[in-house]
Amino acid sequence: MKDRFKYLSTLFILLLPCLLVLVGGYFQEVAGHVLLFLIQGYVAWFLLYKAGQPFFGYSVTMSLGAYGTIVLTEIYHWQLLVSVVMGTLMSCVMGIGIFLGTCRAKGFYVGMASFLLAILFPKVIDALKPITGGRNGLYFDGVYALMDTNTYYLILVFFTVAIVGFFFWLMTTRMGQTLILIAENDQLAQAVGLNTFKYKLVAYAIMGLFSGLGGALYVNYHGFISSVDIEVFTTVYIYFIPLLGGSRVCYGPLIGTIIVILVPDLFAAVERYQRILFGLIFILVLVFLPDGVGPSLERFWKQLVRAFRKVPVATN
Amino acid sequence: MLLTGFINGIIMGGVLSLPVLGVAVVYGITGIPNFAIGLIGVFGGFVTWYFLSYNMVLSLFVGVAVCFPIGYLLQNILLTPISNKGGDATLFFVITISLGFVFEGLVKVIFPRPSISIALPYMGSFSVGGVSVEIIKLFALIFALSTLTVIRLLEIHTRPGQSWQATSRNLKLAKLVGVNTNRVFAVAHGIGCSLACIGAIFWGSLYNLNVLSGWELGFLGFIIAVVGGIGNIWGGMLSAMLMGMILSYSGYFLDGNWQSVILYVIVILVLIVSPKGILGSERSL
Repeated sequence: MKDRFKYLSTLFILLLPCLLVLVGGYFQEVAGHVLLFLIQGYVAWFLLYKAGQPFFGYSVTMSLGAYGTIVLTEIYHWQLLVSVVMGTLMSCVMGIGIFLGTCRAKGFYVGMASFLLAILFPKVIDALKPITGGRNGLYFDGVYALMDTNTYYLILVFFTVAIVGFFFWLMTTRMGQTLILIAENDQLAQAVGLNTFKYKLVAYAIMGLFSGLGGALYVNYHGFISSVDIEVFTTVYIYFIPLLGGSRVCYGPLIGTIIVILVPDLFAAVERYQRILFGLIFILVLVFLPDGVGPSLERFWKQLVRAFRKVPVATN
Repeated sequence: MLLTGFINGIIMGGVLSLPVLGVAVVYGITGIPNFAIGLIGVFGGFVTWYFLSYNMVLSLFVGVAVCFPIGYLLQNILLTPISNKGGDATLFFVITISLGFVFEGLVKVIFPRPSISIALPYMGSFSVGGVSVEIIKLFALIFALSTLTVIRLLEIHTRPGQSWQATSRNLKLAKLVGVNTNRVFAVAHGIGCSLACIGAIFWGSLYNLNVLSGWELGFLGFIIAVVGGIGNIWGGMLSAMLMGMILSYSGYFLDGNWQSVILYVIVILVLIVSPKGILGSERSL
């Protein structure tokens, strides 16, 4: 019951950016960018902390969705919707491929292999410059040829809510509960007769599907992508989102995205010191709030409520 | 072409092995994958460049000397306490990447130029089998090989070296027999950062040095170390040589971008087929 309330209130908060259509301009643009990373953040939250898979290749699956969409539309003149579907499926297949390739390895090695893939992928994009545009990137009208900015922004908000809602729903199902069990104790899950290989495979497929869809939404929103956008730091930022926000709570990636994507914007005035402050904030959060900002705020709130309840009510 | 490729590969392997040294020493002894080590090395490289106009030998000393306490203090203040609280490789990955951001920012704030070239005196070049080899590149190779030999000899024949070995093989037992493991970790990290700085100085004299080279050196050092068998310094050296060969021979058929692609594909394949690396490692990720 309590979890359901948290899920619903998180989804409600995610709907609030719809109101920015009334304001428009810079705030709407930034909110759109935040939502795009929020999708990736929830994908990481699901795979890393719910399915327990140490995967660092989010920029790869995201960019496959993005490049699949833009290349098929611009270079091969496919219809936009078909390109989006193909890009998303390519990313899903990549997710499955990464799992099959690394399932023999264990622990941090899986992370390293996927991290190397995240370093490799921008180099592949650069090497395929005649098709992908390399560092100069590719531009396209994408969805803006069919609708205006506000309509697409609203679609983006609803897609975000739907994807996050799907993950929340998934965690309440038998499949989700099994993934949590595997994440907590893989050997125990095998011992009780669960086919952990099958469950992990599905988890990677889901990751690839939604990360790719997020990438397709990303490239349509910005109308541009280059190898610079998908450099290894993109994967690092996505990885940081649930970690900083709090992996144990459902609203953790929401807080994490605000920290990772909005904080650099706040430090724009002191651009020279941006990286130092950024790095220090991450270190301080990781050291002093190891559960992430979300659970720490929740604890603080509970203490505050308890303290208020203890204060005797003054009587005349 | 075969001989030219071989000589170029060996020399390139020597240059590539320099960033590996720092990573291998730090990971081999502390078990911590430090992704910021390249940035710390580049920070030291920039310090060297800053003092280069005063005195060359002094500047090299200052650069390396600055990196040692950085590594020592980082280990003592930040990494050991996290390790004692049960921090795993994933947490260290995140922490050290964040540290990398801090050092990247420091280089940008402190030094006026975004990209530098460390002008060491020109040592000339010589020809082997029709291949022209710059002496400084050969010097990098000799330096890397002799550093490895010195570290190995220290490990075998000196008491602190034996403490390093004991700590890296069995931490609990080392503590039990009275080894100050925290100090061993801190010194190892200091040495690792100093080696990374020497790597950055060589890199800066052969190519350009900028903030991004710090990440490049760190990642490159790490992947080469992983392929060799992370923590195994001879494995790291062998891996660097192989990478040098791959880069050298693939250069005849492919352009620069595809060369990197081939390199990373091979690394990923090695990692998938043999997760413990070519020579294996007592430590694993």
